[in-house]
Amino acid sequence: MSAFLVTAIALLVAVVPCAIVVARGDVPDAVVAFGAIASNIVMVLALIAEGFNRSGEFELPLLSAVLIYGSGLVFVRFMERGL
Amino acid sequence: MRAVAVDVFLGLGAAVALVSSVGILVMRDAYQRLHYVTPISLLTPVLIGIAILIQSGWSSRSAQTWLAIGFMAIASPFLSHATIRAARVRESGDWRLTKPDQADRTEGPK
Repeated sequence: MSAFLVTAIALLVAVVPCAIVVARGDVPDAVVAFGAIASNIVMVLALIAEGFNRSGEFELPLLSAVLIYGSGLVFVRFMERGL
Repeated sequence: MRAVAVDVFLGLGAAVALVSSVGILVMRDAYQRLHYVTPISLLTPVLIGIAILIQSGWSSRSAQTWLAIGFMAIASPFLSHATIRAARVRESGDWRLTKPDQADRTEGPK
């Protein structure tokens, strides 16, 4: 197993504390933790693509970075209006 | 030498992500937690991007990775600001320290 895949697993482990906050915290805490999870997942996708040596899969982190930013703004908007 | 540099940058990136996620877990409220999102969304991607750049060289892989990192570096501060503003509005009804009508009352005669 390459160092990239080991790092991807470490970043997935780092998702666990954020997921606990999403599950147990109130809405502002959950939105903040969601942002952290989203950033972690973008990097996990890049690490998996590099670890398995697949050039075509490098589009996934790029697309998810754009989409996750949009979804974060939607969550923030709903939170402001009292979700 | 190149493999060692890749391992060092990947290890640093993973360590930053792990420590920051523990920080998100143990902090008290969203205002404090948001401080630990910034290392995950800026520092970890840059460290991992450097590792991919060292491993792949100047290639489409590195370009796409750094494009994603660049987008995150621009978008993340905006999202953090919007999040904390929304949390403040949700908490006290307005993002300002004093609402405009309160400020008029406290300023006194001009």
